[in-house]
Amino acid sequence: MGGAPRQSFDKTRKDGKRVAGQQDFGVPGSGGSSPESGLQDIEHIPVSRGGQKEQPRGPHVHDSHITGTTIGKPTPLVDANWKMTGQARYGDDIRLPGELIGKILRSPHHHARIKSINTKRAEALEGVVAIATGLDSVNSFGVLPVTKDEHAMAQDKVRHVGDLVACVAAVDESTAIEAMATIEVEYELLDSIHEMEDGLEDSEDPIHDRGKYHIGESNVQKRVFQRFGNLDGMQDAAASSESDWKFAGLHHGFTEPHAVVAHWDPSGRLTVYTPQQVPHYLHRALSSVLNIPMHQINVYRTFVGGGFGGKSDPFPHEMCAAILARKSGNPVRICLDREEVYWINRGRHPSKIQMNVHADEEGRIAGIETDALIDGGAFASFGHVTTYYNGVLHTSPYEIGGFHYTGARVWTNKPASGAMRGHGAVNSRCAVEVGIDDVSEQLGVDPMTFRLANLLPPHSRTITGFRITSTGMRECLAKVREQSGWDEKFRKLPFGRGIGVGCGFFISGSGLPIHWDPENFPHATVHLQCDMDGGVTVHTGAAEIGQGSDTAVAQAVSEVLALPLDMIRVRSQESDTAPVDLGSYSSRVTFMNANAAIRAAIELRGKILKAAWEMIGYHPDQLVLGDRRIYYKHDPSIGVSWIEALHKAQADSGSLIASGSYRTAPMGGVHKGAAAGLAPAYSFSAYVAEVEVDAETGFIKVVKAWAAHDCGKALNPLAVEGQIIGSCHMGMGQVLSEEMKYGRNGHLMNPDLLDYKIMSVHEMPEVVPIIVESNDPEGPFGAKEAGEGPLLPILPAVCNAVYDAIGIRPDELPLTPDRVYKMIEKKCKEMGLDDPTDLPNPEFEASDLQEVIAKRAEEHADRDLQRDLLKDRSSYVNGVLFGFDPDLPLAEQDEGWREAITPSQDDLVDESKRAARAWKHIERRHRGDS
Amino acid sequence: MKMPPFVLHSPSSITEAMSIAETLMDIGEDFDWISGGTDLLPNYKWHLNPKSSVISLAGVQEMSMLTSTHIGGMVRIHDLCNSPSTHPMIRQAAETIASVMIRRSGTVGGNICLDTRCFWFNQTEDWRRSIEWCHKCDCDTSADCRVIPNQNTLCVATYQADLAPVLMCLGATIHLVSPQGERSMPLSEFFELDGMKRNVLEDGELVSHLTLPKEAENWNGAYRKLRLRESWDFPEAGVAVAWTKGGDNLEGLRIATTGCESIPRLHEEEASLALENWNGAESIKELGQAIRKAVKPVNNTYFPPAYRRKMLPVLVKRAFAGLNSEAEVLS
Repeated sequence: MGGAPRQSFDKTRKDGKRVAGQQDFGVPGSGGSSPESGLQDIEHIPVSRGGQKEQPRGPHVHDSHITGTTIGKPTPLVDANWKMTGQARYGDDIRLPGELIGKILRSPHHHARIKSINTKRAEALEGVVAIATGLDSVNSFGVLPVTKDEHAMAQDKVRHVGDLVACVAAVDESTAIEAMATIEVEYELLDSIHEMEDGLEDSEDPIHDRGKYHIGESNVQKRVFQRFGNLDGMQDAAASSESDWKFAGLHHGFTEPHAVVAHWDPSGRLTVYTPQQVPHYLHRALSSVLNIPMHQINVYRTFVGGGFGGKSDPFPHEMCAAILARKSGNPVRICLDREEVYWINRGRHPSKIQMNVHADEEGRIAGIETDALIDGGAFASFGHVTTYYNGVLHTSPYEIGGFHYTGARVWTNKPASGAMRGHGAVNSRCAVEVGIDDVSEQLGVDPMTFRLANLLPPHSRTITGFRITSTGMRECLAKVREQSGWDEKFRKLPFGRGIGVGCGFFISGSGLPIHWDPENFPHATVHLQCDMDGGVTVHTGAAEIGQGSDTAVAQAVSEVLALPLDMIRVRSQESDTAPVDLGSYSSRVTFMNANAAIRAAIELRGKILKAAWEMIGYHPDQLVLGDRRIYYKHDPSIGVSWIEALHKAQADSGSLIASGSYRTAPMGGVHKGAAAGLAPAYSFSAYVAEVEVDAETGFIKVVKAWAAHDCGKALNPLAVEGQIIGSCHMGMGQVLSEEMKYGRNGHLMNPDLLDYKIMSVHEMPEVVPIIVESNDPEGPFGAKEAGEGPLLPILPAVCNAVYDAIGIRPDELPLTPDRVYKMIEKKCKEMGLDDPTDLPNPEFEASDLQEVIAKRAEEHADRDLQRDLLKDRSSYVNGVLFGFDPDLPLAEQDEGWREAITPSQDDLVDESKRAARAWKHIERRHRGDS
Repeated sequence: MKMPPFVLHSPSSITEAMSIAETLMDIGEDFDWISGGTDLLPNYKWHLNPKSSVISLAGVQEMSMLTSTHIGGMVRIHDLCNSPSTHPMIRQAAETIASVMIRRSGTVGGNICLDTRCFWFNQTEDWRRSIEWCHKCDCDTSADCRVIPNQNTLCVATYQADLAPVLMCLGATIHLVSPQGERSMPLSEFFELDGMKRNVLEDGELVSHLTLPKEAENWNGAYRKLRLRESWDFPEAGVAVAWTKGGDNLEGLRIATTGCESIPRLHEEEASLALENWNGAESIKELGQAIRKAVKPVNNTYFPPAYRRKMLPVLVKRAFAGLNSEAEVLS
């Protein structure tokens, strides 16, 4: 093979072999001269929307690795056929020979001490193989290392109806059910807490005891205080919106109930098959609960029938299956019934949020004051983080004069709340966006313009120190404004019909992993392995939960190596074969895992190009990876096929493997809690919703929604649009109908899919997904998240549209007809009206300020463009809009500027603030009596 | 979710069904009839009063007859929706029942005999254990009513089926068969105000069919249903209104409700009062208020009872929309 540039066009050599790089090659997609794969139908290659798309926001570090193969092309998910043909195996589809069926005995009481458990009769029953209780598993676990407050089964007491007490493995389900009925449990009932306010008070028997870290004798699990900026003089602000919101708790409502199969194999290792979003944390929890090293456990993630955050904790039933399997020596399968799914919950926290938004006479957001009390239910779960997120995630996309957040999460005797799509950000986002509409109204300005005139620019820093890199917020707003016909509709629609806008802001991957130090370990690792057949196997631990993570990783590899997607195989299921990945939460997978995959692919690419260099004599800089072919840039007829180069590389150095990993850049402030909400990039979104409100009945119908989301770069526009529409459906459920209803005795009244009202297709409006690409400098090919952020704006957009329709600003979700009707009734009473259709239609008359802020919005648009293109590289921090110098500490420029994470007595004087009450307790270790 | 085991009997005629019923009754064996199963089977899965034997009517051909005046008990809701002979009011109500898939299985007889529903009752066994049961399914504990505590005589579970009010307004007669023979009665007399007993059916008795008088075709009207979602959900309140006209005058007026109490109710008194001094929109308003006062929903379904009651005048008004468009009837 020639090391020198091509000398002649003679295709034959004296020894009868063809000269490398000079053989005929077929049309792109045919695999070059390799006969191994057939022709591809070129008609089926979709139009490229990414690779060749003009990038108005400047170049990207991955540009040179774009081969035009899959990035930006609408691509069906790589595992779609498995699901479409019914061959995907979900948790409960796993069948192992000799399996037993496990059933869980649950508490019928809200709060009770277990005095005794007698399993004798159950053990004697024929067909019962193993029974376990809390005694079989005394080690605690929990998703966050700081709050490990769960056990496989109750130790001393049960904390909510449905809490686990014992479990049974039997030859079949009927026997297991029969056995459960014979287990005698003696309880001593304890007072139970159901109202979150009650959790703030001292209690004789707090739901958990955290020893010296316990906050007073209360049920406060976590409290947060953050004060940034200068909030003096807010009482004199030009416009102030004060609201007191009540948000019902939500459940994810995924299709597949939790299910698990555990099996100890003959070599003494445990395999747990489970639909998990976060297999690695389960891996750790199993190890500590079962007292065995992690290397003796294989966590096998099955297909996941919907997660949305509801399958991201290590769950007690997973422990139970492993314990029963160990006791019985057989594989044990447990599948939860739907009401058990609701009892395990981990859904959105029921919350009470007091939200004050202040604006000054120049139409700037002078301050945001938030007090959020959230109801954590019986366990901590992700609650530590949720308590922060309720505050810190509304410090952007707007530039704000000051930020004051008090948050508290309390335990109550309810199923535990946890992480759910839009984790912690959704409720307070809704409240703040409705507040912004309210102050706009007071100032006599269009809320759309008001938002456009108050956005943080690209490459800036938020008030609490988040690093904003790319932001497409402005473009999102501009697009929904134009496409919805906002200017023709706002305050101009007839009574009962309205239009509203809302924005969203969300993390694209949590900057700090929960379980380890990012200084030492990467966030994500991907291994590639390439063998004689030319295909590439990707080993990743990223949990495919239907969001398309396998596809995103495959696409990243396929793009860099210019291989068709069907040559990329993703192995992401088993912890035995996958590098550690932190799992599918905080919208981290595409950003972190695809970045790791790109790096791995670049490494592999280097090895292949090196081989090709030796074969055809051109330096890799001069070589192009085309469809399964490597060729000389200036003469594509000179080249080798992928498989030939691959074989050469393997002949030189053995089997081809490569590894890539990703870690975030160092970032963030230094205050306690600075890491919460920190992310390498943030997604932005803006929705406009148009609604019809039936004032006589209180029914709200969303007619149409325009949904713009900045996902950096749509690696797969099909999946992004799916995520936008899906998020919209889920968010609409929260705003219009979904709620976990608790009865007068604290029982969950609707643990089923008939009365837990998920919107049907009839209620779903037309959603116009609009993809905005801000080309994030650190994202894989510019991409950011698209799975959670798009949920946020639909709630405030609908609420604001309801105001436009009937002049009532909601402060309670969901907006079920009975609630809306009550609001209408109240307003009618205030106005002395009999007929709700006589209510006044809200009107808009622009004040002088409108022109001022419209001008500012235009100037800012120009400012943002310059920063996007990196023509303006000056520093920008939250505060510049208020006249601060970005290069000096803000506290030095304003005497009233405060940065505090613990409250002073003055901060707690307002008795009406709920979460603030949590700060009146003293932690036991600081009390001096313990 | 595991259904308790039961013995399934599959007769192919009413006669055979009756003889099976008689045999089971003779040996003191409890049983349920099953037609479409869309109500019974979910209840069985939740262990709500399951029986050891079930007699399926799926093979009884004679119960599937459907004409403009005869509706067999085994007629599928789907067929009722799609038959050209179906009265438009009945079709309108039938099309709102549950979902497309459930209408494929669910039958007219099953819908008429739908078990009453309640937040505290339609729950799994584990859940009901946590509230120490309720008296509609007390599991031998003599449990109290959870909706209205301290009374364990009356069950206030809500009747939430859609066809009954419409059929009542059209003057339907219900025909029952039992091993003892046959009997018929106006549909409005079929129901009994008790969430447990529900109707007059005796052990071994079933609904063979309903008949409509020939003059039903002269009646026009509408059915309006309150529910959160346009699919799946049971009526939280439902109003059927029917009228006949002689020339420009309103001659006949009937109104019935469902989803408000343990029975569907034909409001004859209120209707005749309204008809007597018919005054168009004003009368409709008064009638709406009268209906609102006539029913007493309790807190055991999705919407709070106060809201359900308040919506009745709106439903009444909207049910009359078809009449309203004929301006001459309004004075």
